[in-house]
Amino acid sequence: MDWDKLVQLLVNGVTLGSVYALVALGFSMVYGILKLLNLAHGDILMVGAFIGWGVLGWLGGAQDPSVAVWILIVLMVLAAMAGCGVLGVAIERFAYRPLRRAPRIAPLISALGVSFFIQNSVLLLFGADFRSYDTFDLVDVEVGIEFGPLRVWVVRLVVIGAALAMMVALWLLVTRTKLGKAMRATAIDREAAAMMGIDVDKVIVKTFFIGSALAGAAGVLVGLVFGQINHFMGFGYGLKGFTAAVVGGIGSIPGAMFGGLFIGLAEALSVGYIEDFTRGRLGSAFSDLVVFLILVLFMLLRPQGIFGKPDVKKV
Amino acid sequence: MRRGLIATAIAVLAFAVAGTAALAKTSGPAAPAQLAACTNVSLGVMAPLTGPAAFLGQEQLSWTRFAVTQYNRRSGTRFKVALGDSQLSASLARTVGRRFVANDDVMAVIGGSTSQSVISSAGLFERAGLASISGSATRIDLTNGQFSTFFRVIPHDAIQSPNIVNYVARNLRARQVVVLDSQDDYSVPLSQAVARGLRARNVEVDRESVAADETDFSSIVANVGDDVDVVVFATQTASAAQTLSNQLREQGKDAVVFGTDGAYSPTQYKPRLGYVSSFANDLRFLRSARATVRAYNRFSRNKAFGTFGPPSYMAAWVAMGAIQRACANDGEATRSEVTRQVRRTNTPSILGGRVRFTRRGDVRGAKFYIFRINNGNYRLVG
Repeated sequence: MDWDKLVQLLVNGVTLGSVYALVALGFSMVYGILKLLNLAHGDILMVGAFIGWGVLGWLGGAQDPSVAVWILIVLMVLAAMAGCGVLGVAIERFAYRPLRRAPRIAPLISALGVSFFIQNSVLLLFGADFRSYDTFDLVDVEVGIEFGPLRVWVVRLVVIGAALAMMVALWLLVTRTKLGKAMRATAIDREAAAMMGIDVDKVIVKTFFIGSALAGAAGVLVGLVFGQINHFMGFGYGLKGFTAAVVGGIGSIPGAMFGGLFIGLAEALSVGYIEDFTRGRLGSAFSDLVVFLILVLFMLLRPQGIFGKPDVKKV
Repeated sequence: MRRGLIATAIAVLAFAVAGTAALAKTSGPAAPAQLAACTNVSLGVMAPLTGPAAFLGQEQLSWTRFAVTQYNRRSGTRFKVALGDSQLSASLARTVGRRFVANDDVMAVIGGSTSQSVISSAGLFERAGLASISGSATRIDLTNGQFSTFFRVIPHDAIQSPNIVNYVARNLRARQVVVLDSQDDYSVPLSQAVARGLRARNVEVDRESVAADETDFSSIVANVGDDVDVVVFATQTASAAQTLSNQLREQGKDAVVFGTDGAYSPTQYKPRLGYVSSFANDLRFLRSARATVRAYNRFSRNKAFGTFGPPSYMAAWVAMGAIQRACANDGEATRSEVTRQVRRTNTPSILGGRVRFTRRGDVRGAKFYIFRINNGNYRLVG
């Protein structure tokens, strides 16, 4: 057993999983309250990545930043969160709210349209070229933690730490604050919550803001750790985030966190070991097969996901 | 209800991804070879104008438009461009192909850009007698006689793979190599040929594969042993080669990345040390092309370019020359006449030498170029 490789794959999986978890949280929050799958969520991540890239350029770029690196990263994340939060609210206002009483397929189609709209707007504004965060110029590749021959770059640690901090903050917000209580009440029964004096529209707007802000932060983290961003990147992250949300139990916040890490680890470990386990019959190319097989198995065997509760219908 | 909603969502996603494929499966009747008035002629440009490979298609479109503008100015013609976005999808390419066949104004097609788009559309063009000229599709069997109206102005992978094998085995003296493909019609056969060639030279080869739209290679890199000297990456996106190179460094691996033609991009693939093979020389390295580069920079307002654009310029130039010759007698031409004229092309190329086609549509005397990259600076080495 090559332990270095295993640990390296675990680090890779947790990094990827942290990003998926942030995306899955947005899916879960919106689904929990509106029973809507916001298929444009991945594209909000992409916009966040571009906002972060814009802030990076505005503050001198990776080679010559005008502020300390940690301040720069915090500003990039905050700007992306603010920008994406506002974008999420705008999407809710113009694409979903008018369809709140329409058949469920209507907002789904609308979400798909919003996804293409955002993707092609960014293509028009920024062009088709990949944009680079040049993170290696920002933070030297040698900076990090070493365990024997294994090296973990500090940016990976920052990404994992930032994602975990945001997840904990969200958990505290949902469980310990008045807004969180209102969100939970709206998720359980929107009409009853309104009758209890909760401004449901405000709660929905705030939920979209928070979910989209998390996606924006995830976009910057992706840019920092993987280096390259483009207008099309949201599709893949959206799909994996959605898978993570379903596996964890869509509508459940701990489920989204767990699902993200689970899918990230499954992806990384399958790339590393699928060839060994299948004695060379399947290569690393089939890692997505493993991820989506997990999705299909959950849909068949436990459709409510790991942390979700099954629907109970009164007869 | 939740189960139903999620199933609906998956169905909607599946529809979005595969809808066009279903449309493309029903093949329509072949269009007759029509007679077109030569005053209103378009070149169909089939390229990935959106999606993950849009950087490639946009560069090709920009150079095609530059060629059309220059040609019209010099010859007093009024050629136009008709756009067809094939993304990286074979089914979309087929849909675009059907649209071009049905458009009487389109007398030649520039593209497809990728081998898979050619495979799915060249049969349609052949039945319509319509010439298609690619500036970047390199798969070997595209010119094995199966598509009689397909031409390309760049060499094919039967030249690229021995070039890479020679350079990696002889110049880099690699003993252990990982060959990585990106699961498409272009990169899989090329990777197989490179792996075969290296094994024949007693180089130890490990094969790996990633999805074409992959952005994280860290787990693949974990599979790369410390003794590996070179990772040959057959990819259509330069940024992927850059990310792979970064992540090798991140995990302390010394292997250098050797990208294939899709990786050529001085703005996106700029490793500390790396190599890239390309089907065309970089115009900036050619003294004879300085005026063209200056004119293009003015035309495009200094848009960045690599080696994808200039061959499309030549493809468009060849097509316009052929249409003009076909129209010379009576001001009218059929697509078949244009195809015949394309076959007879003998014109100087901005890439050096002349463009003349073999019986099967390959350009004569074409070769691949190998560049060494040091801290982002490209230098021709082979």
